[in-house]
Amino acid sequence: MSVPVDIRAVRKVYPSKAGPVDALGPVDLDIASGRFVSLVGPSGCGKSTLLLMLAGLLDITGGEIDVAGRRVDGPLTDVGIVFQGNVLVDWRDVLGNVLLQIEMRGLRRRDYEERARVLLGSVGLQDFLHHHPYELSGGMQQRTAFCRALIHDPPLILMDEPLGALDAMTREQLRGDLERLWMTTRKTVIFVTHSIDEAVQLSDEVVVISPRPGKIVRRVAIGLPRPRTLELRQGAEFQRLVGEIKQIFLGYGVI
Amino acid sequence: MSDMAMEGGSRPWVAETLTPILFGVGCFALWEGVVQLFHVPLYILPPPSAIFTQFVLKLPRIWEYTLVTGQETLVGFAASILLGVPMGLLVAFSPLLRRTFYPLAVTLEMVPKIVFAPVFISWWGLGFLPKIYVVVLVCFFPIMLNGILAFTSLSTELGRFCLSTGAGPLRTFFKVRLPAALPQLFVGIKGAAVNATVGATVAEWIGSDAGLGFYIQQAVGEYRMDIAFAIIFMLAALGLFVFWIVILAERLLIPWHVSQRAPVQGA
Repeated sequence: MSVPVDIRAVRKVYPSKAGPVDALGPVDLDIASGRFVSLVGPSGCGKSTLLLMLAGLLDITGGEIDVAGRRVDGPLTDVGIVFQGNVLVDWRDVLGNVLLQIEMRGLRRRDYEERARVLLGSVGLQDFLHHHPYELSGGMQQRTAFCRALIHDPPLILMDEPLGALDAMTREQLRGDLERLWMTTRKTVIFVTHSIDEAVQLSDEVVVISPRPGKIVRRVAIGLPRPRTLELRQGAEFQRLVGEIKQIFLGYGVI
Repeated sequence: MSDMAMEGGSRPWVAETLTPILFGVGCFALWEGVVQLFHVPLYILPPPSAIFTQFVLKLPRIWEYTLVTGQETLVGFAASILLGVPMGLLVAFSPLLRRTFYPLAVTLEMVPKIVFAPVFISWWGLGFLPKIYVVVLVCFFPIMLNGILAFTSLSTELGRFCLSTGAGPLRTFFKVRLPAALPQLFVGIKGAAVNATVGATVAEWIGSDAGLGFYIQQAVGEYRMDIAFAIIFMLAALGLFVFWIVILAERLLIPWHVSQRAPVQGA
């Protein structure tokens, strides 16, 4: 199951000692159900802010956001969120961290244990179920965080630079994992990143956001077939799309 | 696991356990030697052998008073935890208390609280309870202040995760906030454990007819340094015992925390 997202004239203004700071918007964006959409923009453009407002975790200064036709006016709960810093808890093992999502929702741990094992197995963690986060590599921790965001089968996944803190090779592996997970579940995914390569590789559509105050400057449809193999990513069409987006940021002087 | 740790086998045990014991024995031998060599008078610095003799001779009395001081220490310490942790929790989540009680507590923390001991003794007399009050006075603040820190320092992202699950405040507290707070709570509890024996001993010192604090004052008054040192060793053992209880609780409750893991090689 997946849901559509509708963002209308959304703005965010942060108060500060030197007066209000226009962080974002106004932004209009509609996302069809089951799409993988990336928000790409330079640091400080408000893309994470938009994601947090969408999740109902940050007040909206102006405009409105509907998820599955319902107005967002508090924390969304029918959602899975992956943050940049992993938010695993040290006192639980890998399986326990994934099932924390279930326990926090008052659901029965037993009903989801098998599903958790399957999910963790699908990202290669079947032998690490009873390891604690501090015994894992950064990539394994983030894979666990993916599974925790998926265990309750939410129709919407929000990811805030989930690969941002990882080394280049691990990022590459996790992109593959993410694409596979998405292809089997087909949930609506909104993915915040500052990596153009990553956005083009993973998305059905890349939403390009300008420097602060962030506005949508272009929506680039990515029609490439999946899975997006290395061969495809080295091909002319992939490189053309990456180049097109880079050109926009070059125009803003941010790269 | 590094190769170094693997091949070590019995050597880390020797290094970890035997070295401190040998060092301790060496210190005592040096002490004994210096005192004997320079004929230091007994009423100034007794040699370890004399201290040990008195420890054995006076053991019935020392042990009786150890039970008195130990009881004051443990009861006062336990009461401080039972008061300090919930109070820290209340202040952490009540804006009103944070504006009223918190500044008062911080101010009081700056006062050398042991000065209240004679006041308490004069108010409530020489019995057991005023000793408990003094112990609570010196233990409560580190526990409460660290408790406030512990319950307010949940990371923003973990807090957002909790909100996105729709869990209520109670479930969030028991599943996330409380376990996340335990390491910082133990910082306060360990600090208080060190204070606890100090509070009990000084309170006895000021006004009491029993306990190690009372006994040491008597021994020093009679220039019996050998007895005084025997009592000091007993107090050291009592302090270590209280601290050991806390360390044991910490190992049981937060085996996952970084403070409980094996030290990093070479760090």
